[in-house]
Amino acid sequence: MIQSILLWLAAILAAPFFSGLILKIKAFFGGKKGPPILINYYTLIKLFKKGSVYSNSTTIVFKLGPVISLAASITVLMFLPIAGFNPVFSFNGDVIFVLYVLGLGRFFTIAAAMDTASPFEGMGAAREAYFPIICEAAMFMILIFFYRITGELQLSAYFTGSNTLNMWSLAGAPLLFIVISFFIILLTENSRVPVDDPATHLELTMIHEVMVLDHSGPDFALIELGSFCKLMFYSTIISRMILPFESAIFGFPIVMYLAGLLAVYVAVGVTESVTARYRMDKVPQFVLTSFALAFFATIITLEFVK
Amino acid sequence: MCQLFSSTCIILLGGFLSLFFARQKKFSKGIAVLFLSGGCLLGLIDAAGKLLDPAGAGASASFRYLDLFSLSFHVDGLAAFFLTAIFAVSLMAAIYSFHYMGNEENGIKTGVNYFFFSVLIAAMALVVTAANILTFMISWEIMSLSSFFLVIYSHESAENRKAGYLYFVFSHVGAMFILAAFGLIYGHTGNFDFASLADVPETVKILIFVFSFIGFGSKAGVFPFHVWLPHAHPAAPSHISAVMSGVMIKTGIYGILRIYAILDFHTPVFGYITLIAGVISGILGVVYALGQHDIKRLLAYHSVENIGIILIGLGVGMIGAATGNPLVAVLGFAGGILHVLNHSVFKSLLFMGAGMVLHQTGTRSIDALGGLLKGMKITGTTFIMGSLAICGLPPFNGFVSEFFIYMGSFKTIALGSSISFSMSVFAIISLAVIGGLALACFTKVVGVVFQGEPRTLAAENVKEKGWAMMVPMGLLAAACVIIGVFPKMFIHMALKAVQALGLDYGRVPVEPFGQISCNITFAALLFLVMALIIMGIRSTCYKNKTDKNTTSGTWGCGFSQPTVKMQYTGSSYAGSILAFFSAAAPLSEDHPPIKGRFPLKTHYHSHVNDIAELYMKNVVVRPVFYLFDKLRWMQHGDIHLYIGYILLAIVLLLFFI
Repeated sequence: MIQSILLWLAAILAAPFFSGLILKIKAFFGGKKGPPILINYYTLIKLFKKGSVYSNSTTIVFKLGPVISLAASITVLMFLPIAGFNPVFSFNGDVIFVLYVLGLGRFFTIAAAMDTASPFEGMGAAREAYFPIICEAAMFMILIFFYRITGELQLSAYFTGSNTLNMWSLAGAPLLFIVISFFIILLTENSRVPVDDPATHLELTMIHEVMVLDHSGPDFALIELGSFCKLMFYSTIISRMILPFESAIFGFPIVMYLAGLLAVYVAVGVTESVTARYRMDKVPQFVLTSFALAFFATIITLEFVK
Repeated sequence: MCQLFSSTCIILLGGFLSLFFARQKKFSKGIAVLFLSGGCLLGLIDAAGKLLDPAGAGASASFRYLDLFSLSFHVDGLAAFFLTAIFAVSLMAAIYSFHYMGNEENGIKTGVNYFFFSVLIAAMALVVTAANILTFMISWEIMSLSSFFLVIYSHESAENRKAGYLYFVFSHVGAMFILAAFGLIYGHTGNFDFASLADVPETVKILIFVFSFIGFGSKAGVFPFHVWLPHAHPAAPSHISAVMSGVMIKTGIYGILRIYAILDFHTPVFGYITLIAGVISGILGVVYALGQHDIKRLLAYHSVENIGIILIGLGVGMIGAATGNPLVAVLGFAGGILHVLNHSVFKSLLFMGAGMVLHQTGTRSIDALGGLLKGMKITGTTFIMGSLAICGLPPFNGFVSEFFIYMGSFKTIALGSSISFSMSVFAIISLAVIGGLALACFTKVVGVVFQGEPRTLAAENVKEKGWAMMVPMGLLAAACVIIGVFPKMFIHMALKAVQALGLDYGRVPVEPFGQISCNITFAALLFLVMALIIMGIRSTCYKNKTDKNTTSGTWGCGFSQPTVKMQYTGSSYAGSILAFFSAAAPLSEDHPPIKGRFPLKTHYHSHVNDIAELYMKNVVVRPVFYLFDKLRWMQHGDIHLYIGYILLAIVLLLFFI
């Protein structure tokens, strides 16, 4: 339990660092030196010290938005096995709870954006409401896949100890699809290129950044931390899926985990550097790809995994 | 039983007295609200008591009138569960109506409204307790007719009269189907009782189920028989919409469950029919809801969606019962039945919120409103809570029942057969999509109606008033949270109702489900604690910073002359999602293009077509009209020939006896 809580805290604290890594990779591809690797911590500290500017249009919902979205992100991390160790909490069906809590966070992010009466934020909110519908379908398809293989409905049954390795041995090829499908969901849910561009917010094509345009100071810091943690949540899952190896050597799982995380964040950074953002009406097709992959993988398991 | 009848009598007495004293407007209204809420409270205590009492056996009563026919009533777990929902929502609606019904209107009209309201509550209570075909049919018709008169309350408007007519036609076509199913039952058993139909051949049982599914489905609002629903609900006064959408349509669900129970025939086919009907109603209901511009119409379409979710749960339960898997069966049925209660709580809350908006602003058009949360703190907050609940988000009550249905559907995967696998994939994916779409729809309503800036004069400086309207909203919102965080008691109530279905499992084991409710409580509390901790951190961050916090206009990316018209509207918010579903929800637009150097004034109007309505008009209504047009010569007005027709019909029928 103590170990799990420490890992949970470490994940929250390390989340900004890894997101900073993406900036470094993008700078590398651009032939630039880039910001310091700890830039996100500096930004958070700076924001926490500041005051806030509130729009006259806003209500209490605007202030609740950052709180609920961060609470959602750190609550779901509690149910996630980090580096293959037991999660802080776990119960039968916790995956469904986790997905719905993320939905709750989304509701409040959108509601906070609509609170400002800004046309830009309304536009971002409409997209934030749209794409995750398909993502959610894909996520549940992946859950059906996991359920087919393990017969369980909790994150700890998929990602602790040797469980992930067992999944590979049972359904290796389809699981490869799931990894790709999950990566697409990661890009969409965390508003990365090619779905969204986290680097700018002034173009009308933006989703997440434009929704938080009016937040400032500590409120904005909470939102930033929340999105770092959310990215951490998805990356941890992929990291565990691609490097599920176990060994008795002390620290081995942690090293494996960090290597996996590094791979995921580098992949996000590289994707961001070498691809352009899709036109908005192409995004649903991109997201549907992840659903199709997961669906295909599940169909394969019907025949080959008894 | 005695308590139930006395509460029904008190309710009816309230209606009569209100009509009798209609000229003294305030007195008539007060006495009606007093009697109605008193009667409902009494009934609620009785029904909930029966459900919570572990040893509580059913109660029966029967009357005979001149030996012609017998009226008999029976309260079992299922009936008591629906009674609880009916009395709870009616109680809230009765209190709400005290301030909602204006004093300036014609007193007779108010009296008539209360009279039919009381008849509707009593009829609903009798429908769910009826123990034979005759009693059921009589109560069912009284219920349909009384709600018809409530729908045409504002009969001055042609639109409302049309809505009432549509409702009348649908409820009677539906009643004909139910009658056909009952006729089959009577034909094979020879008596009117809802006794077990063990000896009836299986094909007949399937036919009975299909007929009653169509008949009850048209009352419940199952796609494609839901066409009346989005017309009738906005037409009725808001407290009536709350009762109709919250509990009256659930009598259709009750009917399906009751017929399923007495058929005593566990075939997966019933499960497939119910589940697929649920999936289609669920997804299309929420897609059409997303396209609406009228807040009450939008909520009415959400009833179609939630009926879909309930049917998915029941379908999963039926598949579980047919394949002999008690856990799946109980999870599915309990989830569906619990969602009946949950939906009646949050939907009546939302209709009351919409009613308050309509009452204070005079408009139901979403795009004409905005920024109402600032003046309507209680309405806005409770409406947001209701929205979270209807989206199925934790820690609110919608999550609990959806969680049960999810668990049941996932367990169906393990049953093995490929049909049940594809059914469970259907159920799970559609539940996920429905959840996402409902979130989009309610962020639209909350964002456009309650947040931002007022879009028209109607929405400016609006305040809320009337404690009788706010108290029920507060209570219902509290119920959403209580069921969402501490669902144990309510799960037990649902399990008691499942027990009455007679699934051959004897007593339904409570322990595994108690564990689920503990998990939900734990997770909900965990989230709330996290939110509180972060709120604490936030407030320490803002300590001593009052000088640093400033207010200003919304950042317009450098543009300094924003107007309220530039805000995203509900139509634009939903536009891209509707485009994705354009095959099922074709959009018709009316937008003369802007031409020339000095363009004329233009307008934009969009309407999302309901394909059921569209096809019903072209495929059913037109051919029927054409056919009857050809038969018009029979209707000549000569009374002698009419009597001849009757004689001829009787003589012809004699050959079949």
